[in-house]
Amino acid sequence: MRHLCSGSIIVAAVTAVGGATVLPTRTSAEAPAMKTAWGEPDLQGIWTDETDTPLQRSPKYAAQEFFTDAQRAELDKERSALLSRDKRVERGTELDVAGAYSALFMSQKHTGARTSLIVDPPDGRMPPATPQAQKLATVDRGFRLALLQSTETCRNGSVACSGGKYDPTPSPRLAELPPRYNTGRMNRHDGPEDGSLGDRCLTIGLPEFGTAYGGSFRRIVQAPGGISIFYDVGQGQGWQRNIVMDGRPHLPSNIRQWYGDSRGHWEGNTLVIDVTNFSPKTDFQGSRENLHLVERWTRTSATSLDYVVTIEDPTVWTRPWTVRQEFTRQNDQDNRLYYEPRCIEGNYGLPGLMRGARAEELAYAQGRGPNPATKDNATDFVGVEVDPLQ
Amino acid sequence: MRGRHLGSMITVALAAAAVGAVISASVTQTSGQAQNTRPARIEGKPNFSGIWQANNEADWDLEAHAARPGAVTQQGVYPYDYARVPAAPVLALGAVGAVPGSIGVVQDDGHIPYKPEALAIKRENAEHWIDRDPEIKCYLPGIPRAMYLPHPFEITQGTNKIHIAYAFSNTARTIHMDKVAPPPDDTWMGHSVGHWEGDTLVVDVSNFNDRSWFDRAGNFHSDALHLVERFTLKTPDVIWYEVTIEDPQVFTHPWRIAMPIYRRAEPNMQLLEFRCNEFVEEFMYGNLRKQQLVKHWEGDTMAVDITRKVPPGDQFYQWYGR
Repeated sequence: MRHLCSGSIIVAAVTAVGGATVLPTRTSAEAPAMKTAWGEPDLQGIWTDETDTPLQRSPKYAAQEFFTDAQRAELDKERSALLSRDKRVERGTELDVAGAYSALFMSQKHTGARTSLIVDPPDGRMPPATPQAQKLATVDRGFRLALLQSTETCRNGSVACSGGKYDPTPSPRLAELPPRYNTGRMNRHDGPEDGSLGDRCLTIGLPEFGTAYGGSFRRIVQAPGGISIFYDVGQGQGWQRNIVMDGRPHLPSNIRQWYGDSRGHWEGNTLVIDVTNFSPKTDFQGSRENLHLVERWTRTSATSLDYVVTIEDPTVWTRPWTVRQEFTRQNDQDNRLYYEPRCIEGNYGLPGLMRGARAEELAYAQGRGPNPATKDNATDFVGVEVDPLQ
Repeated sequence: MRGRHLGSMITVALAAAAVGAVISASVTQTSGQAQNTRPARIEGKPNFSGIWQANNEADWDLEAHAARPGAVTQQGVYPYDYARVPAAPVLALGAVGAVPGSIGVVQDDGHIPYKPEALAIKRENAEHWIDRDPEIKCYLPGIPRAMYLPHPFEITQGTNKIHIAYAFSNTARTIHMDKVAPPPDDTWMGHSVGHWEGDTLVVDVSNFNDRSWFDRAGNFHSDALHLVERFTLKTPDVIWYEVTIEDPQVFTHPWRIAMPIYRRAEPNMQLLEFRCNEFVEEFMYGNLRKQQLVKHWEGDTMAVDITRKVPPGDQFYQWYGR
């Protein structure tokens, strides 16, 4: 039942008979009501994707949208064997020391039902990049490789140097600005802007498909006319978005935000959120200020929520593409969500990278150490096993 | 069932015979907001949802204080305290760098009842404000400070959780109105558990660490801090906010602050990001750059030399670790 009117007063009285009630008098033991007291679909709670699904479908499963039960069981077996393994590269090398993260630091969940999060295009792969985006990516990669060219990483032909080649003469590009505003880690630490967004405690927000480091939870709290979503992602690097629900247009285009500008409305039982106004300092697979998302959140049962997001940026991809996830409702009582984006408060990493670089420069200038350009202070995660799911 | 309208008032009364309960919602429309129906009451309780902001000087100093010429001052030509002049960090800002006066928000005798040894720390904090105030570094503001920072926050009053999203530092807290396990560790923002006393929302906040401050005047607490907040809707657009502050390690007895917090009534108001950790990188790490950005200014450009001596033990990482 629904009333829609303009410029008047409505009084509606509804009597519900029998056991059905819209009043949320439930205790945590009962199944949550599917509608809020004010009649909107109830999406509230802590939600997470309880399984691991790669973003893109591996060529191995090209013809399959879903894994068979036998494949999932086999993948779970293979993947659980990786837990607690500590992959080492040649002892005593820089890269071995840089592999501070072993598999112990990663969270691994059961293999999901789908072979890819991407449901459209039907091949489960991101659509081809536009020529412009390919060029930008190549130029950016070329810059990063130039900064690594005189290091052991390239001399040893490590995967981190793939596409590049070793050259004992340091690149003059070490003195150049990156081709675009930097968002990733590079082998130079002249100032904070050379750090990755993660190292700067500026984690990327949307779209959010989880990380292997600490999971990905979102708490939805709803009120009439407003929805707040707090994301707990990675290692306590939380962030929030507040969905404007009154139908007003997006922010002026000069206001750009790390998490964009979210405008929501209901289509039947589905919360549809249109997200634009991203900052040019964000980067999702090469997409920056032109990123446009249309999210669809639908409660499908007491414990499940369907999330579908269409991702569009005509400057980066030749067509829009769509990702689908199924979230499972978490126990509210357990207080699992970590609200404190406590990162800058204890960020030794970023100043440490810069302090270390200054110390290496000084040592080199005083003849006490090697040319800093021959050191790799960017590559890590070499100690992590490759997940066969990916 | 659902009521929705443009530009007026709706009353929806819904009686559920099974439980005999009635909820009523009177919806007041704010001009210009096409479909934003915000009931004055929700599930029988006042609806605090919306965007709010304190409009006072509490973040400068909870206690009553006169205006002063700068957030950081130095002795001027006279030796008197009342004749100090702005010091280098804010000198270039002119009146913008000055501090507005306040009648204070501390209740009863207007003074924070510090133990003598704690008062000495507070004074030392004030003296080293720039190096010690977590707000300057964009650290998490803690409670109650997040409530009266000069930044808006949004309350989303849900079914069994009341969520508060703060613009400053992209932080948040949830007031648990239902049963919830305590947090696994001490926190900056505390652990908030709420209940209703009539139309007043009462929130018990605990599990704090000792890192956050109350204001820019160096007022501080230990990890024994315990708060009881009371939110009362005085009018649809004014919350009366009261906090009883208890910390036996720092204060001789509990004390209270109280203030109005106002609705941001702009029809197109929304919470914008204030991701200040990006803004403070130069402050925090500028000295570690290969090539310093801030050099000596010349010619027609104002040359300001700022000497900021960090007292021993007050490097941010030392502060964090102690």
